[in-house]
Amino acid sequence: MFQIADRTFSSRLLLGSGKFASPLLMQQAVRASGCQLVTLAIKRLELTKPQDDLVTPLRNMHIQLLPNTSGAKNAKEAIFAAELAREALQTNWLKLEIHPDPRYLMPDPIETLAAAEQLVKLGFVVLPYCSADPVLCKRLEQVGCVAVMPLGAAIGSNQGLQTRSMLQIIIEQAQMPVIIDAGLGAPSHAAAAMELGAAAVLVNTAIASSNDPVAMAGAFANAVNAGRMAYLAGLATPQQQATASSPFTDFLATL
Amino acid sequence: MHITLNAQPLEIASSCTVTELLQQHQLTGEGLAVAINDAVIVKRCWSAHILQPNDVVQLFQIVTGG
Repeated sequence: MFQIADRTFSSRLLLGSGKFASPLLMQQAVRASGCQLVTLAIKRLELTKPQDDLVTPLRNMHIQLLPNTSGAKNAKEAIFAAELAREALQTNWLKLEIHPDPRYLMPDPIETLAAAEQLVKLGFVVLPYCSADPVLCKRLEQVGCVAVMPLGAAIGSNQGLQTRSMLQIIIEQAQMPVIIDAGLGAPSHAAAAMELGAAAVLVNTAIASSNDPVAMAGAFANAVNAGRMAYLAGLATPQQQATASSPFTDFLATL
Repeated sequence: MHITLNAQPLEIASSCTVTELLQQHQLTGEGLAVAINDAVIVKRCWSAHILQPNDVVQLFQIVTGG
């Protein structure tokens, strides 16, 4: 169990809802993953082809909905998106993301911190997507964010924990949940993140782009559980030299 | 009365509310957000908020995303 703000979660796997072949497949993957929190986005409605209602099926599964501010290029746009999302979903929970650069989608730390500070004052429960920067994560904590979501690698890159050593520092210093977001391309990456002591991971592309998203959702759920159990059990320390696991005996010496 | 709805010009009856505008477009309100002249209109005010001539109305919708 872990807590974000006033809500307790038994699953440490969080899912993004993007890139699935259909809303139904997304819902099936959510169910298979056992996750209790799903991210959504907001965009200008196309009057000629409004999308299906994504919200009601997820609400019926008692999923915590976490709208994001994807598309915002600065703090001002992010705050506007946050206010829209709050009305659209009637929740003050928010995944703050500001990534103006379309090539690498790197979060803008300066705009993110500025927006986080204002959004907290406006009453939002803010979970910022951010660089794996220990100083920034501390600053985000100090302005009142309820969790931080540092990246493992670029969004959708499937490269795993490229920021591993920085994530270790962030986790060691944090007084709030650290959710590793972005770049986790395989269940083993998610397990590794949990072994580091992350509170949770957020996965989207690796599940949605799999040949079988429902099966992959289950695989990630198992990996997250395995990683968490290993963290709690305490990992053995890596060593340069071998240490025998079996006793050295001389019973072969007579042969 | 003339307004702009998601960058498209639109003629509507005077005294039309936000709720009535949404109903005219078969939009139920679930997962929707409305901004008028760049100010977000809170949902509980939709039924009372009367559109004004030349209002720039933007409708937004929850979509999938990571």
